[in-house]
Amino acid sequence: MSAPFVEFVGIEKAFFGVPILRGISFDLPAGGALGLVGENGAGKSTLMNIFGGNLAPDRGHMRLAGREYTPATPRDAERNGVAFIHQELNLFPNLSIGENLFLTRFPSQRGTSLIDYSRLNELTVKLLEEVGLAALPGQSVETLSTGERQLVEIAKALSTDARVIIFDEPTTSLSRSETERLFALIARLRPRGIAFIYISHTLADVFQLCQQIVVLRDGAVVGDGPAHSFTESKLISLMVGREINRLFPERNPTSRLAEPLLQVRGLSCCGKLQDISLTIHRGEIVGLAGLMGAGRSELARSIFGLDPRTSGEVILNDRRLKPLNPRAAIRNGAAFLTENRGSEGLCLQLSVADNLSLACLPRHSRPVLKRLNFETLRAAVERIRAVVRVDSKASNEQPVRTLSGGNQQKIVLGKWLLNEPRVLLLDEPTRGIDVGAKSEIYRLILDLAAKGNGILLISSEIEELIGLCDRILVLSRGRIVREFARDQFHREEILRAALGSAAPA
Amino acid sequence: MTPAAPEISRAPRWLHLLLSDYFSLILTVLLVAIFAPFTPGLLSRANLLNIFSYLLPLLIVAIGLTLVMITGGIDLSVTAIVAVASVVGGSLMTAGHQPAFIGVATMLLVGLLIGAANGAMITALHLPAFIVTLASMMFVSGFAVWFTQSRNIDQLPPAFLQIGQTLLISTAVTATLALVVRFLLQKTVYGRWLYATGQNPVTARVSGVPVRSMTFAAYVASGFCAALASVIMTGRLETASPVLGREMLLDVIGATVIGGISLFGGKGKIAWTFFGVPFLVALDNVLNLLNLSQFAITITKGSGILLAATLDALRTRFGFRQS
Amino acid sequence: MTRVGPKILKGAPLLILTALVLFFGVWNTRFLEPRNLLNIIAQASSTGILAIGMTFVLLTAGVDLSVGAMMFVAAAVAGKLALAGVSMPLVLLAMLAITLLFAAFNALFIVHVLVAPFIVTLATLFIGRGVGLFITQTRAINLPEVFLTFGSARMLGVPLPACLFAALLVLAHVILTRTPFGRECFALGHSLEAARKAGICCEKRLFQVYLISGLCAVFASVITLGQLGAVSPKFGEQKEFAAIAAAVLGGASLFGGRGNILPGTLVGSLLIQTIENGLVVTNADPYLYPMVISGVIFLAVLLETVRNRYIRSNDQHRFSSSRR
Repeated sequence: MSAPFVEFVGIEKAFFGVPILRGISFDLPAGGALGLVGENGAGKSTLMNIFGGNLAPDRGHMRLAGREYTPATPRDAERNGVAFIHQELNLFPNLSIGENLFLTRFPSQRGTSLIDYSRLNELTVKLLEEVGLAALPGQSVETLSTGERQLVEIAKALSTDARVIIFDEPTTSLSRSETERLFALIARLRPRGIAFIYISHTLADVFQLCQQIVVLRDGAVVGDGPAHSFTESKLISLMVGREINRLFPERNPTSRLAEPLLQVRGLSCCGKLQDISLTIHRGEIVGLAGLMGAGRSELARSIFGLDPRTSGEVILNDRRLKPLNPRAAIRNGAAFLTENRGSEGLCLQLSVADNLSLACLPRHSRPVLKRLNFETLRAAVERIRAVVRVDSKASNEQPVRTLSGGNQQKIVLGKWLLNEPRVLLLDEPTRGIDVGAKSEIYRLILDLAAKGNGILLISSEIEELIGLCDRILVLSRGRIVREFARDQFHREEILRAALGSAAPA
Repeated sequence: MTPAAPEISRAPRWLHLLLSDYFSLILTVLLVAIFAPFTPGLLSRANLLNIFSYLLPLLIVAIGLTLVMITGGIDLSVTAIVAVASVVGGSLMTAGHQPAFIGVATMLLVGLLIGAANGAMITALHLPAFIVTLASMMFVSGFAVWFTQSRNIDQLPPAFLQIGQTLLISTAVTATLALVVRFLLQKTVYGRWLYATGQNPVTARVSGVPVRSMTFAAYVASGFCAALASVIMTGRLETASPVLGREMLLDVIGATVIGGISLFGGKGKIAWTFFGVPFLVALDNVLNLLNLSQFAITITKGSGILLAATLDALRTRFGFRQS
Repeated sequence: MTRVGPKILKGAPLLILTALVLFFGVWNTRFLEPRNLLNIIAQASSTGILAIGMTFVLLTAGVDLSVGAMMFVAAAVAGKLALAGVSMPLVLLAMLAITLLFAAFNALFIVHVLVAPFIVTLATLFIGRGVGLFITQTRAINLPEVFLTFGSARMLGVPLPACLFAALLVLAHVILTRTPFGRECFALGHSLEAARKAGICCEKRLFQVYLISGLCAVFASVITLGQLGAVSPKFGEQKEFAAIAAAVLGGASLFGGRGNILPGTLVGSLLIQTIENGLVVTNADPYLYPMVISGVIFLAVLLETVRNRYIRSNDQHRFSSSRR
């Protein structure tokens, strides 16, 4: 094997004192294809953001083609020949393919500032041929499918003479034939010396494409070697082999005979969810596992009436919700803790008290004119602050923007608890908060279940689901593919089902 | 990726004073204190009465606009509503021989309807508020001119004129409106909902706030307030005119923005509007007493809005003044 | 999925224009005379030129309400200087200078202070009208004959204003479709953030776009002066409405990222002028004019919204179908 082309040496990074990367070191040769695997939150994205110039490492360094590589900005990374193809493609749909490829460096006609379209077309046709996309250079990007747009992104990378191309979950929105086409293209480009870093949860794809695999777990490299030295089950056990948190108390499964609180029947939502049915009983915590993009958040949002559904019904507390919108859901005892805390969960400029009381206002108002009953409202806010343990240093008048992530999340949760919901849909309730706040939120969730509420818990951390839930449903490509009862919980089996890679054992 | 905590920029100390709650009140006092020696008529009884009678309808319109601006929108059609309500009511009471109360009721209804049309287009079609209300300003004021063939309507019934001419009645009406709106904003669920809608409509919707209804209601209220102001202004001038209130747009927007109601939505109190309106009226009066021509006044007021909007943008950028 | 819908929507302004021309033609045969049709184009040129600038501004998701006021200021300066006997080229130069200064003032607040474009240009609309009235002392000024000859002159039988309009249309079309500047405007109108990430200097581009709007206002002012021969206190009043209507009818999106000069803005401005002209030919009540124009704005905005939704739903459809 040739000399290393890309080298990571002891990369460390922490956010707010929480270590995300703990000394990552590995390398790959020119023309190599490296699969980077690991569970959600293992540190893959952070590492690639450092490589792509979005973040600076706290410690450690990178080398590219034998030279020290310290990108300050994404543009800097691009100039060094590092191209990053995100899940969210960065194309302008209102421009043509050729214009997207050469947006900041149009070829110009001699002596004028006019774009030389014949030259542009020539260059574009050549690039499109290379990536195998049968489209006209003048065709507008909005007429292309997602897979085709991805090929345009690759063409863009080629046009900047990229030497390393990073893919982040490129196949989640592709059809099988589009995936094959992408792999054939990558195989064609490797002999030219272009190295690929391929991040994916689809292990079969990783095995098919890469000669080298690096496994990350909790911000550290736990496996690095040629692809043929791994098997799928070995990869999975490496990925999940993380220490079980001692944060979760013992849990007694609830009886299945308890009355159902939430019933979902045949819910479908424009290509993102297909025929979902599930039931949550009194006192039950149901976990929802799945990869990013599997439709977990979409399911919770559809149940709550935030996203439109194409068919299916939701029955809350024996009442069929119709129309399905957040107000009706709330009125029938539902609560939805969103994963986008800042943009959907809080009014960042408003005070702690205003945010806490936002969802429960009608129940603290008098019938005529909806006058607020300030005494009961203030008492309720105080009570709930104690329940969710918002930092006592924070005053009720303080804007929530100034609080830490953990306290903000407690406020969102408190906002819903003030409404005394029966069914809580919790979407990544512990994302981006510190360990202390995490365990407090776990305690709250268990308390709520013990009081007879039904909970749907979405989490990317399988440990969290295993520690808290009575049942776990696994979602893959918009469908529920498996259900695990508490006595069947098995980390590797759950991950395997989520990856959709092999038939259930 | 872990989201970064929002960075809070620190503004220099002198900005604090400039961006404080009572900024426009301080401005008003300063303005009067500085110019009173040069404009002998300024504090005379007649002039104060004159100021006051313009202040009332302006305040009413500004209160409506405040509600719209709290939702993050803008209503440029208010002055056109003042005009159209005036001529529709006027013709009903003269050519239509209807009694004053029917005239007033119709005027208010006209305001409500135009506000509802604005609100419907903005909430149902998701169009930008400024373009909808700009076009409806043009349409409505065009209608007022066409309807009267650009003529004024005189000989309105005395009972109607009473409302605008008796200072006690018009003051009572204005005060009642202000108190009702203040009550709604501060003491009821609707007020909280309105602020939440302007602060973050997505969070508001997720939390069960009827965002569309609140937005719609704000434009309806704004239309109503404009029509109410029209009743008082028409009465005071004893004539219904298709260009009534045409000079008012700058004053209304200026008063709210200088008062501190944010153009970005979610922030604002009726008290701020209350501080902003006198400043604009005092400014107008001082400039008039200084014998400045109309165009100089227009330039000053336009610059005033620009300055206030700049302050608003700075406040928002530096994260000041949470209500 | 039908492909007819978007095409009809896209062609709607042209269809309406054709229908209107035929309608007025049947009503009054004089309407269809080449003389009258050429006249319409000449009359449409000042609004049309403003609409060219407005298309650039709308493309970047902004708006410029001050174009009519800029026209007035330029005309007022021209009137004053011309009466003082300043030579024609110098007068034009002065018009250009004052308007660009005005436009730079707009751009400064919009681009660097980050105040919403509509509020900035609304304020400068009033300031501009005030400045114009100050310069003219609220009196009408009759201009020397030179200006009028410009308005009535013909090139190969075509009125000079129409020639200028055509030249600017072609120029703007080329800039928008064939220069990096134009394409970058499209990109930043679609998403300012993405454009910044792609390395486009958005502040500079936005600034230039508002200057273009000012430049177009100068041309419109010169043409209108040529046609009227005088500056009245109402000069250029409410021109911004017609310009916005023409640009949006031509397919410019109020949300940015979409728009075209040829045929869009041309058809849009001809449509506006045809309506105006048709109202005159049919002896309609002149007071109806603002109502009709604002009705057209509503219609244009409505068309644009429906078109946008169509495109978006089409896009989503493709996404979901490619998934399977």
